Amino acid sequence: MAGFRLIDVAKPFLPILPEVESPLERVPFDEKMVYTIFTALIYLFAEFPLTGISKDFQTATVNDPIYFLRGVFAASPKTLLEFGIFPIISSALLLQLLAGLKIIKVNFKIQKDRELFQTLTKLFAVSQYFILTNIFIFSGYYGANLSILQIALLNFQLCGAGLFITLLTEVVDKGFGFASGIMILNTAAVATNFIADTFGVSQIKIDAAGHTEAQGSLMNLIQSFRNKDTTILGGIIASFTRDYLPNFTTTVVVVLFAAIVCYLQSVRLELPVRSTRTRGVNNVYPIRLLNIGALALLFSYIVLFYVHIFSFILIQIVANNNQESIICKILGHYDNVNNLLAVPTFPLSLLTPPRSFFGGMVSQPLTFVVYTSFVVFTSICFASQWQNISGSSARDLAAEFKDQGITLTGRREQNIAKELDKIVPVASNTGAAMLALLAVTGELLGLKGKAAGIVIGIAGGFSLLELITLDYQQSGGQSALSSVLGAPNAGM
Amino acid sequence: MANEKTDNQIEKLMDVPLEFVKDGNQFLTKCKKPDWKEYSKIVRAVGIGFLAVGVIGYAIKLIHIPIRYVIV
Amino acid sequence: MSTAIPPGGQRTLQKRRQAQSIKEKQLKQTPTSTRAAGYGGSSANILKIFTDEADGLSVDPLVVMFLAVAFIFSVIALHVVVKVTGKVF
Repeated sequence: MAGFRLIDVAKPFLPILPEVESPLERVPFDEKMVYTIFTALIYLFAEFPLTGISKDFQTATVNDPIYFLRGVFAASPKTLLEFGIFPIISSALLLQLLAGLKIIKVNFKIQKDRELFQTLTKLFAVSQYFILTNIFIFSGYYGANLSILQIALLNFQLCGAGLFITLLTEVVDKGFGFASGIMILNTAAVATNFIADTFGVSQIKIDAAGHTEAQGSLMNLIQSFRNKDTTILGGIIASFTRDYLPNFTTTVVVVLFAAIVCYLQSVRLELPVRSTRTRGVNNVYPIRLLNIGALALLFSYIVLFYVHIFSFILIQIVANNNQESIICKILGHYDNVNNLLAVPTFPLSLLTPPRSFFGGMVSQPLTFVVYTSFVVFTSICFASQWQNISGSSARDLAAEFKDQGITLTGRREQNIAKELDKIVPVASNTGAAMLALLAVTGELLGLKGKAAGIVIGIAGGFSLLELITLDYQQSGGQSALSSVLGAPNAGM
Repeated sequence: MANEKTDNQIEKLMDVPLEFVKDGNQFLTKCKKPDWKEYSKIVRAVGIGFLAVGVIGYAIKLIHIPIRYVIV
Repeated sequence: MSTAIPPGGQRTLQKRRQAQSIKEKQLKQTPTSTRAAGYGGSSANILKIFTDEADGLSVDPLVVMFLAVAFIFSVIALHVVVKVTGKVF
């Protein structure tokens, strides 16, 4: 215990941070389902506009600098979910990574250490909500010249929302719901956004003349057949190309991406194994291509988020987006687009996906190279570390094999770890690289975060579905809600 | 001498991605790909789950519309 | 000296095995994550933070959910107050 350890920072906060009680016994399947669904619903319900913003925010000069990251972190601008689940995901991933690399000293064998580490994660998440809130307030994002009361109100709303989201994920994590709270929330939000973008029926005003169009791209396509203002052909073309609301091309691309992720999910290397206890029992043990799922891509987006937030601080708060200042000359400044998005200029634009493929091709061709290599590189770096520290490395797998009494066919038992070590890292690295490439391709087509969102949503959803199916089978299949899951199959 | 050394290092650095792609390719060719039957089963399971969650979520968002209309 | 044990054979294997198991034990002594230590938590493709119950301000999960809903409604109430008074304080 000698010396200072970062987890000790959490110690004084232990008594004041709320802590969800662990369930006394295993929660039955149906109850878990109810908890999970309600958690997701409360999160979605929280997507509520903020109060206390200056009424003149329509003419505000500071716009959304992280618009293309919102799809990934289930965030929506100027609502209680301004930052979505980013603070929680980032603190969980980063702290776990640092602890795994032994930069933060935690002994996971000791209960006290684990508790402190967990509290530290929570503390870090909540303080990130607080810091981000105030960065946005002082940048003028919610309007210039806010009164003290307004600042207090905004802090109350955004930090309160952050605290409750953290606690909701904790409820799920502690075993009242399935698997992991953050991933449930993320998947639910991605699914909801997809439905809203495709089938959304709400009519949104598109011009000053009071014309409205449906939010959903499919609804808009159907409407275009009986629209009196334009010709049918014009309406159809418009519904494929409009850029102020989701268009049908986006929907098609997103569905295509979901299909590709499903395919990649089921690509696996089947290792022949045999039982060491009984002779002649042969089986296969699958090592999946995407064995670390969407986490690598999430990590890349966390890094992107930090890069953009730090440049936002420098450009907006320090330099006030003044093109003459040195900071803006080095980093670039923000251009306002549609009075909604803050689009950075060169060189920050290198790490910002273009808003449309052809526009990007012409105006920022370098972005295609830099953005792609950045995301792919960070993904691979993360994957190679994570598979080693997350408790499913070759070494852990070998131990698991030993426990289950199986061994690789035709290999000596001592060599299993070495043999697996040739396969597992390659699998996770390749998988991470492929997912990153897929997401980046979508982003470069101008999907503004929807591509990465759907990739992470589907891959995360897949991991969840697997665990839920497992849980269902363990509960003996006695569930009134079984139909919700679709047909559970053991094959996955 | 020094030049040669850096050249070597650069060459090594260039080898890393190549090696990576080679390893990945090797792994992919050894992998078992899903056949159509398995794939359609997976797509159905994921699709139904995803759409169900999305529809429930969207229903919640529909509740928002009248509330927003009244208060904003 | 003629009784020197010839190299190789059973003994060397045993020694190797011992050395390996010691190495493995050392690795196990400092697990890299909650799951590696065998207490659940994040796995390869699942990010899970909260596994242990720290001694903080204990709350029931149902209370958390109700409070969360109450919080959202308090924000709605704030909206109404702002609308009724007609100004942002």
